Amino acid sequence: MNLIAPSPFGSEHFQNLKITAISQKIRGKLALPALLLVSFFLLAPLLLIFRYSFDLYDPKQLMQDIFTFQNYYKIYSDPFYKNVLWVTAQIAFLSTIFTLLFAIPVAYFVSRTQSERRRSFLIIIIVLPLLLGNAVRSAAWMLVMGTKGLINASLIGLGLADNPLTILFTPTAVVVALVSVLLPYAIITLQSVMDSIPTSLEEAARALGYSPFHSFVRIVFPLAMPGIIAAGAICFALAMNAYATPVLIGGPKMKMMGPVVYEQIAKISNWPFGSALACILMLTTLVLTILSTRYLHKKYF
Amino acid sequence: MKKMNKLSISESHRRELLMGIGSLALIGIIPKTAHAQSDELIVTNWGGDWNDRTVKFIEAPLIESKGINIVRALNLEPERKTKLLAERNLPRGTIGIAHFSNADAYELNEQGILEQLDYAKIPNAKNIIPSLRSPYFMPWVYGGVTLAYNPKFIKTPPTSFADLWKSEYAGKIGVLDQSFFNWIYMAALVGGGKMNMVDSAFPKLLQMKTKLQPKIYPTHQHLAAGFANEEVWISANYSARIEQWKKDKVPVASSYPKEGAVTIVFGAVIPKKAPNKTAAYTYLNALLDPKGLGQYCEASMYSPSTSNAILQESVKAKIEFTPQQVTSLNNVDYAYQAKNIASWLEWWNKEFKG
Repeated sequence: MNLIAPSPFGSEHFQNLKITAISQKIRGKLALPALLLVSFFLLAPLLLIFRYSFDLYDPKQLMQDIFTFQNYYKIYSDPFYKNVLWVTAQIAFLSTIFTLLFAIPVAYFVSRTQSERRRSFLIIIIVLPLLLGNAVRSAAWMLVMGTKGLINASLIGLGLADNPLTILFTPTAVVVALVSVLLPYAIITLQSVMDSIPTSLEEAARALGYSPFHSFVRIVFPLAMPGIIAAGAICFALAMNAYATPVLIGGPKMKMMGPVVYEQIAKISNWPFGSALACILMLTTLVLTILSTRYLHKKYF
Repeated sequence: MKKMNKLSISESHRRELLMGIGSLALIGIIPKTAHAQSDELIVTNWGGDWNDRTVKFIEAPLIESKGINIVRALNLEPERKTKLLAERNLPRGTIGIAHFSNADAYELNEQGILEQLDYAKIPNAKNIIPSLRSPYFMPWVYGGVTLAYNPKFIKTPPTSFADLWKSEYAGKIGVLDQSFFNWIYMAALVGGGKMNMVDSAFPKLLQMKTKLQPKIYPTHQHLAAGFANEEVWISANYSARIEQWKKDKVPVASSYPKEGAVTIVFGAVIPKKAPNKTAAYTYLNALLDPKGLGQYCEASMYSPSTSNAILQESVKAKIEFTPQQVTSLNNVDYAYQAKNIASWLEWWNKEFKG
């Protein structure tokens, strides 16, 4: 009598396991070029920026190679720069919330679209704005929001307003434009997560008496939370570092960190102070993203 | 205290290493052939219309036709300055010619990057307007900040920068944020200051802010849109820009201020580490070719830096300053500007725009 039970998986299973083990090794090597590229072209410049932030600005020599905390002290002690950081965080937070609010239903709709053809068409439509430059999209918003733009012309034409409204160069305009920039990123991230949630769960919920709305809120939404957190983190980081939108839509009085860093480095060649501002921007984005992600993970998992 | 341009090998190990890394990356980007052939010249310039016109009127007909192959590295000035800085510590650089404004050139020269030009090798340079000459920067075209106004609303042309402070234009004055330093110079000239003494500018600008509520526009394009939709009646900008706006049917006219325009000069430099200086001098001479420069100026609406550029009479009247206007031009004191521009920008951001 054969006491050893035959493997329920069969010998093919073990061969597959071997193949998987080998491919994992290969996978590790495949990641190497990308890792090297990132180390050289991202980490090395970041380290340079970090070191420059401790140098001292010298209009004649570009910078003096000393080690000082002066640039960081200036950011800390000057209410102007603290306010710029605060405004940037507020705008980024609001843009992220609105982006997620708009992106979740769209991602759900795309994910539950049965026809592959229709689905591909929808994804192309969603990704299409990314093929245009951010500056081009901002220029289009300028045409929509300007004094003689589409909105004001419509309002005046319909007799709803006597004088043009000031829409362009306001924080609201920046949030609206940023949401339009961020939406494709959020929708694509969320749609792939929602694809992985089986429709059978919703069907079961419906069979047990949940309305479509309740089955979405109670079943899909919690299961999609990792994707929502990831999409939120991407949007927040992009909004914190936005440049073209605050400059073109926010106007000169709208101070956000991206344009302020650019101004220091490009307009007046103050690399040390620009680098310190960039480091603070990176650190703030990183800390806020990690804290919010942790908080949401704790709350939902 | 160590200064960047005085670093010795032993004390500058870290910085040189960093610059070296940057330079290696730079070399990797530039085609190999650029190093190999002596008839090649790497030219770094602004892109867009600026470069298109340079190619059309100068580089293609006057340089490339002579067998010099131009490799173009097109970037904005911060990137181009960085490349030159990265090449400073190499035994031999790659950039042969760099286009810059005179303010950028001043900064680079202070950092010890630029070749002192041998004008004997640039025969066309004998026609350069004397006040524009520089030992390290070859002037090519120039312009000045003059008044721009909409003649539909302002019937009597303004004659002075002081007209920007007239109460009748309250709410209709357009200020260009990207040229904040020019507004400081203009306010200084109105307030009794000089190009190297601008203290009087700050109360004058605050007066404009509080009493006249100027509209601040981030870029030239925004300001042009402001004129087009009649939000702005009066402003100031580079004369060439105003002429370009006129070409684009923006409702605007220009007027030369009695204080004299604030100048900007564009030109080219040769880095000390340039590999092919003979070709670089050929390039500089071609830039000043009377026909090529004339055509370039007619297209860009900037004034030529030479007295013999061939211009159509109708265009000449639009773009060239009269001898009287040339003598009243306000040249920027670059040492003074470089020393103070960081604090000016801070004041501008906090006080004028805040």
